[in-house]
Order: sequence, then C-alpha cells, then structure tokens
Amino acid sequence: MTTPTARPASQGQLIWRRFRKHTVAMVCLGILIAIYVASMLAPWIAPYPRDAISLGNAYTTPFQHAADGSYHFFGTDHLGRDLFTRLIYAARVSLTTALIVVTISTLIGIVIGLVAGYFGGWIDNLVTRFIEFISTFPTFTLLLIASAIVIQSSEAIPIPGFVSFTIGAIMAISEREANQVVLIITIFIILGWTGVARFVRGMVLSIREQQYVESSRALGASHLYNMFIHVLPNALPPIIIAYTLGLSGTLVAESGLSFLGFGIQDPTPSWGNMLSFANSYMFSYPWMPLVPALPILVCSLAINYIGDGLRDALDPRVQTEIRRAQRDAQLAAIRERSKPQS
Amino acid sequence: MATFLTRRIIQMFVVLIASALVSFGLLYIAPGGPLSGLRQSQNSGRNKISNEDILRIKERFELDLYLPYRFSRWLIGFPSGPITIAGQSFFGNTMAGCAIPGQARLRYPDGHTEIIEDGCQKAVTFADLTGRRSSRGILFGDFGLSQVILRDRPIASLIASRLPYTLQLMGISSLIALLIGVPLGVYSAVRQYSRFDYTMTTISFVGSSIPTFVIGIICILIFAIAAKEAGLLYLPPGNAVANSDYVVPFIGNVVAESSLDRFLHFVMPCTVLVFVNIAGYSRFIRSGMLEVLRLDYVRTARAKGLQERTVVLKHALRNAMLPFITIMAGVLAELFGGAAITESIFNWPGLGRLLVDSIGRNDYSVAMALTMVSIFLLLIGYLITDILYSILDPRIRLS
Repeated sequence: MTTPTARPASQGQLIWRRFRKHTVAMVCLGILIAIYVASMLAPWIAPYPRDAISLGNAYTTPFQHAADGSYHFFGTDHLGRDLFTRLIYAARVSLTTALIVVTISTLIGIVIGLVAGYFGGWIDNLVTRFIEFISTFPTFTLLLIASAIVIQSSEAIPIPGFVSFTIGAIMAISEREANQVVLIITIFIILGWTGVARFVRGMVLSIREQQYVESSRALGASHLYNMFIHVLPNALPPIIIAYTLGLSGTLVAESGLSFLGFGIQDPTPSWGNMLSFANSYMFSYPWMPLVPALPILVCSLAINYIGDGLRDALDPRVQTEIRRAQRDAQLAAIRERSKPQS
Repeated sequence: MATFLTRRIIQMFVVLIASALVSFGLLYIAPGGPLSGLRQSQNSGRNKISNEDILRIKERFELDLYLPYRFSRWLIGFPSGPITIAGQSFFGNTMAGCAIPGQARLRYPDGHTEIIEDGCQKAVTFADLTGRRSSRGILFGDFGLSQVILRDRPIASLIASRLPYTLQLMGISSLIALLIGVPLGVYSAVRQYSRFDYTMTTISFVGSSIPTFVIGIICILIFAIAAKEAGLLYLPPGNAVANSDYVVPFIGNVVAESSLDRFLHFVMPCTVLVFVNIAGYSRFIRSGMLEVLRLDYVRTARAKGLQERTVVLKHALRNAMLPFITIMAGVLAELFGGAAITESIFNWPGLGRLLVDSIGRNDYSVAMALTMVSIFLLLIGYLITDILYSILDPRIRLS
C-alpha cells in the first residue's frame, strides 16, 4: 500500500487540471495537435508529391476520380496539383510561421518590456516612446508595403545560410523558398514585438512595487535574479493568453497577406495563397475556396478556444489582471481592426 | 489644456515627419519604378530606347536628384529652383543631383580593366530645377503624380475618384455596427450567463476569430453563386455598379447604375464589415459593462430605488462607454482608408483596394500618399479621442 504523498500539486499541474475541464478547449487542442503532427508527417501521409503538376487532371471535384482515374480526396487545383497534399504541406508552412513569429516576438517583447518596466527611468522612457511611435503606423499597410518590397528583392537580401536551411528543413521546403518565408517572418517579428513589450511593461510596473520584490532586493538578490525569479513568473499568465491570441492573429494576418498576394508565394503552399488562387476560380468551381478556407477557419477558432480555456484555467488569484489583459487585448484587436485591414 | 494641445500638436508633427521619412525610405529601396519595365522592353526590336529617353524619364520622375533633395521636394516642394532673396538668386550652381554619372577606368596590375562609376559627368544644378514640374509637397496636400495605375495623372484625383465609395461603405457599415453592437453588448452584460448572453458571446467569439476574407468568400459562395444557381434572389458579388442591366429573381430587371443596382452591390461588403465590427464592439461593451455593473455606485443607484433602465443606461453605460471612445480613434482613419481585404474580395472600388493595387503594381507614390493620409488621420483621431476623453471623464487631466 502506498501512502498518499503530501506534496501539493505544482502550479502547472493545477492549471492543467483546470484546463482539462474545459471540454471545447481540450477538443480544440487535440485538433490543432493532430493537424500539426499530420503536417510534420506530410511526406508519408500525402498521397502525391507536393508540386506534381498534371494539367489533364486540373479542377477535379473533391471525392471524384480525375480524368486519368487517379483519386483526389479534396480535388485538384488549376494546375492539377492534389489539394489535399498541398493542404498538409501548407499547414506545415502556415502553422510553423505563426509559431516562430509569435514565439520570437513574445520573447523579444518580454525581455524589452521586463527591462523597461523593472528599471524605469530613461530606458523606460525610450522604449515607451519608441513603441508609441511604432503604433502610430497603420500596421497592416506597413506589412503590405514591406513584404511587397522584400518579396520582389528577395534575391538581393542576404540571409544566413543556416537560418534558411533550418526553416527549410522544418517546413519541408527548398532553401530558395525558405528565403522568402524567412523574410516574411522577419517583417512580422519586427512589427509584432511592440504589443507584447507594452503589455509586459504594464504588468511589471505593478509587480515590481510588490513587497516580495522589495524584500528580495533587501536580502541582496541581484536585479537579474529578481526580474526572472520574482517578477516574470507573476506576469506569466496573461503573457500566455496574449501568446495564444497572437498565434491566431498571426495565422490570420499571414493568410490575409498571402491572400492579397504579398505573403508566401506559390509554389510554396500556404493556406492564404491557396485561397487566393481558389478565389479566382470560384465562379466556375465554387467548391474550390472551401478547401483552404476550412483549415484557416478551424485553426483560428481552435486557437481562440484554447486561449479561452487557458484564461479560465490560469490562477484565479490574478483573475482581475487577466480580465484587464483580456480587455487590453480586445482593445488592441479592435484598434488593429479599425486600421485598414479588415 | 492649451499647453497640452500645443505639446501634442508638436509631437504629432514630429511623428508625421518621421513617418514620412520611413515611408520615403521604403519608397527608395523599393524595386521596380518607372525605369525597370522600360529596360526590359527596349530589347524588343523597334522601340529602342535612347539614352536621351532615359534621361528624360529620369528627369520626369526625379531619379537624377540626390536623395535628400528628392525627399524635401516630395515633402514640402523645396527646392524648386535657385533661392531668390531680394532679386538675387543664390545656390544656382549648387549640385542637386547627377544626370549622367562619370566613369573611370581601373587598371589592375594583372592587366584586366574595370569601369566604375566615379564623379559626375553631367550634373543637375539648382538652376536646372527651375523649369521642372514640381509638386507643392505632400505636407501641403499635393500628392504628386501616379506612376503606373493612371500614368501621369495626379494622385489627388485618383484618390478623389475612390473616396466616395470608401466613405459610403465604411461610414454606413460602422454606423450600423455601432447601432446594433452597443445594445447587444449592454443586453448580454445585464443578462449575464443567460441563454441570450451565451449565444451572443459564442457568435461574437466566432465572428471575431474568423478572418474577414473567409467570411467574405463564404458570403459570395452562398448569396451570389449558390443563390443564383438555385434561382433565388441573389446579390451581385463584385464592383459597386454593374456594367449592363441584369435580371434578379423576385425583383425583376435591374438597370445598371440605378440606385437599386448600387444598393444590391452594396449589401454584401457592408454586411461582412457590420458582422465583423458588431462582434468586436459587443464583446468590448459587454466586458466594460460587466466591470462597471459590479461597482458600488451602481448598487447605490439601485438602492435609491431608480428604475433598472435608468441605472443601466444612465449610470452604468455612460462609464462603460468611456474606454470605447479610444476605439473610435481608428474609425476616422478607417473611414478614409477603407478596408483593404474586404474591398479586394468584393472588388469594391475604394481606397483600400487602391492601396493593394498600387503596392501590387509598384506604384509606390500612390501607396505612400495613401499611407501618409492614413497616418495623418490616425494621429488626428488619437488627438480627438484624448480630448473627448478628458471632457467626458473629469478624473482625467490632460497635462
């Protein structure tokens, strides 16, 4: 017989326990993981090679046999490429892009926001002014212009070989294709970190005034120790929520950009550029846009529901802060939407 | 208040100049431009382009001027010739640019030679600028000329031809979204956790997580394509007016460019924008109301025996609306900037699509003009909301 251990559940376990109760969020997490795992297994799952063109098979309706008798689960596009295959590979590109962008910009935002909020003074002043300046730009317009320029001159911009090699390996695309994706990712990061930084700074400003930070300082702890051991963990829950919201935001923004033709370029598949092609054939083949629209819809909904579940699951002690964060996020989202991007 | 205003206006001016610099910098590094297409087409036989042609084009688009001069001419229309003070002109011989770069031959020790650009063979001086057509500068409302979309037509007239469509679409859709979204948000906050609240929260949650382009495409599939196939009342999917008359079931013949035609074209893009905005607005108002309804003064108002209606609308909503004003900062820019994605999907001839078109076709002078306008309006919007905020909320002091 084992004696029940007295060790209390860790913070993470508590959050996970509460999160599990949110059925919808759990289902969404499952769906998202399934899609991503499937996309990572793309070479083994996909029934056809990614770019296999066969013009005779073009515009095959889903669940029908093509002209040459081959079966296409989701039909084929205008070049006769299998849409199901491209959808899986596109998941790899689109989801990984969103993951990388949000992870890196959140990390940058955390560090800058932490430093600015913790030390205050001229550093804080500089950072806040800079962020304010950036936020007066119409972000989506800037995104459009920057990526249009970058895509056209992608040959001329030097990218470290190992970066495009790694990205290419993760996304199962050639290094040449990876160069473009790297550039798009970079633009997103440059324009994306400010939101997180502003928000982390706000959190840190209130946390650093807490007594436990002060007493830790009095006990001789270094600033670095304080920042990462005392301040950051307490600011973490809203950051996690902002992270999930950012994930769906970036996914949608990337698809929107690719949809308008300024994002990831064909033949590299992305849900956005697949939708853009399908859009131009929609009057003859109305089923076509539904194929790439479905995963965009499912993923952005799923990520938002996961964010919702996390919001409920995170420590009730910081509930008010979360509510504030949530409202700020909503405000930012609406403000973002008010700029010409909808 | 006065000091605040002056400080803010100075600040705005600085931001405007800085964003003009950034915009112009992007314009400068952008590939393409008026020369790129010509150099490709000159290989094709007869219409060979001579060096004089290239010089003329360079002059027309000011590619032969140095960057700082191009920037200041674009921004404030200066310099437009030698500077004349009291009848005397100065700086007439100062170089403003270089029309033909000089060449130097480098001879390497191993015998091979290389020709590099060195110095300037034919300079452009301030005196040469006198006869040139120059804009009065973007700061004074002269946006210059379009390079690609409508070659050599003033950008201002291009914008003016698109502006009514954008104003119509954005104005009406924002108004409807406000009129529906705010009451919905209030009602679901007052009836928190009711079936209505639950349904509304789900709908607006879904509405704000679906990207607009997906909603737009699904709308076209259902209300334009499927409805037409089924012989039902359908809506024309693209553009703002039809080219020729068409027949819609239940309505009959629709005359092109009639107001009915315009209305039918308007319904779908407007509905999509309304739906997206309602989702955002109602969620925002709901969370604001929930916060306010919990406060002591609301309880006091109830305790005084006021009607619930008065408590909710007069006491709670007024305060819940305060943060909502900040959202309105963007609306001004939105009114004049359009919605790039929605307009592209529905082929709506507004400013949002003009932006996408101009970037896609390398007409960067148009793109820059539109960016500058929207930055300017955004700044004005922020200023107005700050002032409004301080008027409506006495706790906030502008200083």
